Amino acid sequence: MMQRFLDPAVLASISSLDLLAKTVVDGFVAGLHRSPDFGFSQEFAEYRAYTPGDDLRHVDWNLFARTERCYLKRYRGETNSQLTILLDASNSMNYTSGQPGFGPPTKMDYSRYLAASLFYLAIHNQRDAAGLIVFDDEVRDYIRPSTRQGQMHRLLSGLERAEPVARTNLAKPLAHFQELLHRRGIAIIISDFYESPESIVRTIEPLRFHGNEVVLFHVLDPKEIRPELRGPAILVDLETDERLEVIPEYARTDYRRKIDHHIEQLRSRTRAAGMDYYLLVTDQPLDSALRDYLAIRGGR
Amino acid sequence: MGVLSPWFLVGLAGLGIPIYIHLLRRQTTTPRPVSSLMFFERGIQSSTRHRRLRYLILFALRAALVCLVVLAFADPYVQRAKVGANDRLLLLVIDNSFSMRAGTHFADAKQAALHVLASKLPSQRAQIITLGGQLEVLTQPIQDMQALRSALESIQPGDSRGNFGELGRGIRALNETAHAPIDLHLFSDMQKADLPANFADVVLPANVSLILHPVIQTAGQAPIPNWTVESVEAPSQLADQKDPKKSYARAVVAGYGTPAATRTVSLFINGKILATRKLDVSANGRASVEFSPLDVPYGFSRCEIRIDSADAFAADDASIFTVRRSDPERVLLVHQAIDSRSPLYFGAALAAAAESSFVMQSVSAEQSTDIDPTKYAFVVLSDALVLPTLFENALAQYVRGGGGVLIAAGTAAGHHAHIPILDDSVHHAHDYSRSIGFASVGQVDLTHPAMQQGGDEGKASADNTGWADLKFHYVSVVDPSHDRVIARLADGTPLLLDRQIGEGHVLFFASGLENLTNDFPIHPLFVAFIDHAARYLAGNEQLSGSRLVDSYIPLRASSARSSDQMGNIEIIDPEGHRPLSLSEARSIQSYQLKHSGFYQIRFSNGREALIGVNPDRRESDLEPIPDDILQLWRGTSGTQPVPAIHQTPATPENLKRASLWWYVMMLALAVAVAESIVAGYHLGTQREEV
Repeated sequence: MMQRFLDPAVLASISSLDLLAKTVVDGFVAGLHRSPDFGFSQEFAEYRAYTPGDDLRHVDWNLFARTERCYLKRYRGETNSQLTILLDASNSMNYTSGQPGFGPPTKMDYSRYLAASLFYLAIHNQRDAAGLIVFDDEVRDYIRPSTRQGQMHRLLSGLERAEPVARTNLAKPLAHFQELLHRRGIAIIISDFYESPESIVRTIEPLRFHGNEVVLFHVLDPKEIRPELRGPAILVDLETDERLEVIPEYARTDYRRKIDHHIEQLRSRTRAAGMDYYLLVTDQPLDSALRDYLAIRGGR
Repeated sequence: MGVLSPWFLVGLAGLGIPIYIHLLRRQTTTPRPVSSLMFFERGIQSSTRHRRLRYLILFALRAALVCLVVLAFADPYVQRAKVGANDRLLLLVIDNSFSMRAGTHFADAKQAALHVLASKLPSQRAQIITLGGQLEVLTQPIQDMQALRSALESIQPGDSRGNFGELGRGIRALNETAHAPIDLHLFSDMQKADLPANFADVVLPANVSLILHPVIQTAGQAPIPNWTVESVEAPSQLADQKDPKKSYARAVVAGYGTPAATRTVSLFINGKILATRKLDVSANGRASVEFSPLDVPYGFSRCEIRIDSADAFAADDASIFTVRRSDPERVLLVHQAIDSRSPLYFGAALAAAAESSFVMQSVSAEQSTDIDPTKYAFVVLSDALVLPTLFENALAQYVRGGGGVLIAAGTAAGHHAHIPILDDSVHHAHDYSRSIGFASVGQVDLTHPAMQQGGDEGKASADNTGWADLKFHYVSVVDPSHDRVIARLADGTPLLLDRQIGEGHVLFFASGLENLTNDFPIHPLFVAFIDHAARYLAGNEQLSGSRLVDSYIPLRASSARSSDQMGNIEIIDPEGHRPLSLSEARSIQSYQLKHSGFYQIRFSNGREALIGVNPDRRESDLEPIPDDILQLWRGTSGTQPVPAIHQTPATPENLKRASLWWYVMMLALAVAVAESIVAGYHLGTQREEV
């Protein structure tokens, strides 16, 4: 059942991002087992001896009445985290190998579903502040992380507005990220990362230095990993409009080797830099992404 | 080669389709968007070359398919020679009957056949057949000129009588197996005597063209004059050469188309001239001459009567026969002790008949114990059905070995149901004297050797016409299921039966040989019957005398002992050869006398025979078939003969168009299948790429 609701092809038929996110997250949560890490409401943690200056409101008077000792009740701190999603809205995100109505959605749509689901999970389930930065070669849109009423609506509107128009350039907007992300939190970058792994890591690394949990969701179409060419074909770069004639033999052998190497490099280098990396293929359900998010969130 | 529907060749424009698809059409692929060209590299030139090379075979197949389909619709054809040149079977029939020995007839016929064969087209099939007493196929329908020529040259003139009826039957049978039209070339002297009595026998099938090559002029010329020894009457066996009634040789000299002339007739005995007579023969007539006495030595003598005809047909100027001179052979008559009539009548009849070749010895049944029947030419049991066991066993063995026995069942048969040798029994006896007085003979098989002599049916018939006048008062009834019934009474009761036992024969006469049970012994017919029966039972008839070419001589009984118990039969033909193989010598039952001359035969029971074989004298009449009958015969054959089968020039009139569209279509089908396989292979390759 969960698979059915989280299948990207099914989600593509839901026009409302709100409903989409609710469907995804509710379906996902309902399918989870109760976890000891799940739930971070007020919980008793330990007793501590009173020292002068402590707030008397936390003294356990029942205990004092029984033992005439003054102890303070300590609770597990309720920490509201801040989730910021950096969404790549470059032209390359508009790619899909499927036909309209069939096959996997575009990488942009998939990223939207993913972001909407994460927002829904964060705001409704975790009471976290959530914000959005849409970028290509510049920062196109910025919605400040907040827990205010209507934040969910603002975020979804921001996602709706995010239409790919230009090429990706991580370096330029990243400078603004550091200004915008002044509070520690979780920074999720959703992109197809068509740049060299070194430059990607080098550009994103400063976010990590600020104490953010940085997660890279690498969104790719299945045909970008295993391209199909029946014959020699002319390929057009969606970002640069550059054209190139390619033979099937190359796509079958060299290309696959290169893209696999790229993914592997990206994974190893981001891990080395203390960041999390997840490859998301657009024909796969969203639950793995959500599970990863919760795992990270639970660790905080 | 050409096409019948050239307008369909416009369809060759369809060749442009594979040319466009494979050679002209550029790879107009729609540019495919990709997220980034970061990991791609250019590869344009190798891809194009690869594509063109890979589809070259497919292109060739598709182009060939279009061409073949268009060509099939255009209906291509080739020019072929019409039926009648190559497709007709050239059938050469050479008449090698006895009459072809006259003059240069046979050589002329052979020469003409060689000439016709030489004009045969190289690809035409031909077959060589000889026509004698029957058709003899020398070759199958073949094209090999050398084999045909050697087969033709190997033909020798024969001694058989020609028969155009046999030719008609053979060609009709051949036509059922050879489906091609036949050009029948007949090389013959067109002898009128060779025509069958029924003209329908010579009618040829519709697709057989008869081309006659007569070796003599048939139109408006008198037949070739020819004298011949038409027949010779002489005893085959002679006991007393001084007997003027028996010891003679009478020859009939006939002339066909001859003027009146005096001919010299000579009798040769064992190669020496015994006597010579002058004989006046009328124009186109016959005359007879008699040589008497016939002074021949003991044993077999080779006799020949020859005339000095000085005509063109020398082969028929002599007629041969053999005479076997021996002392009279003894015949044993076993009778009842009280019976004195049957020895009297039988002995008198035997003495009067059979050319004095037999001497009767009569004994009563009781005295027969120690008698060895093998010392006798044959044995007669006259109402003697009770025999000493020793004699009965010896008699049974004698019959199985080839001996002959005549059993006459008189009144004693009614008391003794068992019949010796036959292992049969008398069911009952008809005593007609008590009822209707007598019974007469109702049916006689005149073809039986015991009822005729020498195959002359007319004479036999004359001898046996008196059978119906006989009166039988007392007749024993036996079961005839295992016997050949020679004569029956009017009420169907078997009167005379013949049973073969081993190599021998037993004649069973259901009445007596005296004049009590019937009046047969006092009838003149009795002498003739005893004469024939004695010769038949003694078995001497086939040991000497003369026969006609192509007649058969019986060698052993079909129901004889198994082959390993049989003795060998030896035959020496006129050329001194032994024509029988070893297996044939042990199993052959009859032999056809194919050549004229003296045949020496040694039977399995040790008896020897010397037989003179003469060609059928009807061959001596060289009168050709009248032209109107020949025209009628030609007219019954199918199409008009092909006049010239020489190297026919390939004029448009002689050529026909043979359509090839069927073959082209089949080729197109094969190419289509190949195209499907190759295209399927490429598609499979593409799927693998995916």
